[in-house]
Amino acid sequence: MSALAKAASAWRSTAEGVRHAPFVHAIAVVTLTIALFTAGLARGADALIQSLLASLGGEVRVTVYLEEGLPEEDAETLRRGLEQRVGGAATLVTPTDALERLGRELPEVRGLLVSLEDNPLPPSVELAVPEGRRTPEALRALAMEARRLPGVTDVEWGEEAVARLSAIARVLRLGGAVAFAVVLLATVTIVAATLQLSIYARREEIEIQKLVGATDRFVRVPFVLEGLLQGLLGGALASAGLLAFSRSAGPHLAQLLAFLVEGGVAPALLTPRLVMELLLGGALLGLMGSLLAVRRFLRA
Amino acid sequence: MIEMFHVYKAYPGDPPVLTDINLRVEKGEFLFLTGPSGAGKTTLLKLIFCAEEATRGQILVGGRNVARIRESAIPFLRRNIGVVFQDFKLLPHRTVEDNVALALDVLGVPRLQARERVRGMLKRVGLEHKADVLPLKLSGGEQQRVVLARALVNEPTLLLADEPTGNLDPVRTLEIMDLLRDVNVRGTTVLVATHDSTLLSRYQKRTVRLEAGHIVSDEDGVKAARRMVGA
Ligand SMILES: Nc1ncnc2c1ncn2[C@@H]1O[C@H](COP(=O)(O)OP(=O)(O)O)[C@@H](O)[C@H]1O
Ligand SMILES: [Mg+2]
Repeated sequence: MSALAKAASAWRSTAEGVRHAPFVHAIAVVTLTIALFTAGLARGADALIQSLLASLGGEVRVTVYLEEGLPEEDAETLRRGLEQRVGGAATLVTPTDALERLGRELPEVRGLLVSLEDNPLPPSVELAVPEGRRTPEALRALAMEARRLPGVTDVEWGEEAVARLSAIARVLRLGGAVAFAVVLLATVTIVAATLQLSIYARREEIEIQKLVGATDRFVRVPFVLEGLLQGLLGGALASAGLLAFSRSAGPHLAQLLAFLVEGGVAPALLTPRLVMELLLGGALLGLMGSLLAVRRFLRA
Repeated sequence: MIEMFHVYKAYPGDPPVLTDINLRVEKGEFLFLTGPSGAGKTTLLKLIFCAEEATRGQILVGGRNVARIRESAIPFLRRNIGVVFQDFKLLPHRTVEDNVALALDVLGVPRLQARERVRGMLKRVGLEHKADVLPLKLSGGEQQRVVLARALVNEPTLLLADEPTGNLDPVRTLEIMDLLRDVNVRGTTVLVATHDSTLLSRYQKRTVRLEAGHIVSDEDGVKAARRMVGA
């Protein structure tokens, strides 16, 4: 009964705080909304980069060159081993196949090729890397592993392209993380500042509460609730904003992506999971801000 | 109820405000704390409800040593002490009822129950018809009674009243003093700080006189009153 009464009193007090300074609270909520909306967008962008990487990675062909004159059965054993290891199709390309293909791809030199006494091309195995292993790290690891196998002379893959793409992704992600940290810090600071104003506006009441026997917790809880409420509201508004954004910009974005990436992958901007994360993130930011304010400005 | 042993209070850089205070107040007693302005009356009361910390000495309140009390225990001490502040400390934008209810709010008393007790208390101090009025719309005497209602609504065992008749005319002064006497009769220990010597002769209660931070006399009611008349 007493706990319930205390909770009720804390809510009343919180509501009063919001009612007394709606503008100040609006600032905090807007800041939280912008921060969370941006974070949501960044999540979308990240998903986009992921799918770009994946789809471009699909064009990466890993070619494992084998020793010249390697017996066919040894080559086949290697192929099977690679197939198992990679989990995707591995195709053995014999020197004859390779020569034929070269002739097909470069008709101008076909005459030259025919005149060769010996086939100068080594046998090779071509690997189709399944989607999960198309990251630069996984590809590099695969290449290193293959290179160590007996009978393998060299491994080629679109290292540079993949590396460049992933470097771009890394920079984007790092930049995003730094920007996000800054936004986070600014948001927490602003929430703390608004709550400081809130605390200041009610300092007289706080003083009297303490003089008639209020515990520190009793005094603090309404402000912590205020921060929490701001955070939840910010999360809800950010979700609404993202919904509106994906509704209006989504079709254009999908078109653009269809041009960039074959198959037209358009990652969903707003998933139920993201809404949960935004609400949770908002609550966390609000709590951090209010705890900071309460700690700093409600010293006994 | 209250015991003080060699209590000193000094603010940094100033001469001591209270010097070697030794005082014993029994449960159920009514005591005047008197002396000229600046003698240290308010400071002495503040030490009792932990609004200030003694520089030296021991202070027992209800058997508890408040000179060495933990910060987190102070609220619970204060719940047993009603205080009538010299400067009232009423919230100007809250009604009389809300101001009084504050003392129950912090204890977690449910709203309805609190409202009932507040109404009862306001009736006792004769302000039931002013429950929904803002304090600034009230006269000084009425505000004083609101403060008294807030101090008493939690039924404390000890009441500290700092100049409770400060700026009141004689009639209002009598009203307040009668309320305080009534509270004392019901069993609450009452300490009244006042520089008004007419109160002392009228009420004939034990009187502790402070001058420049020293206790200069501690007399029972009759003696104190006789001296007042002689003066
Ligand atoms: N916070 C403070 N800092 C410094 N001096 C103070 C403080 N509070 C009170 N004093 C001094 O303590 C002395 C006693 O004050 P007070 O207890 O209010 O006296 P009284 O209530 O008897 O008029 C005064 O000289 C006053 O200036
Ligand atoms: Mg005083």
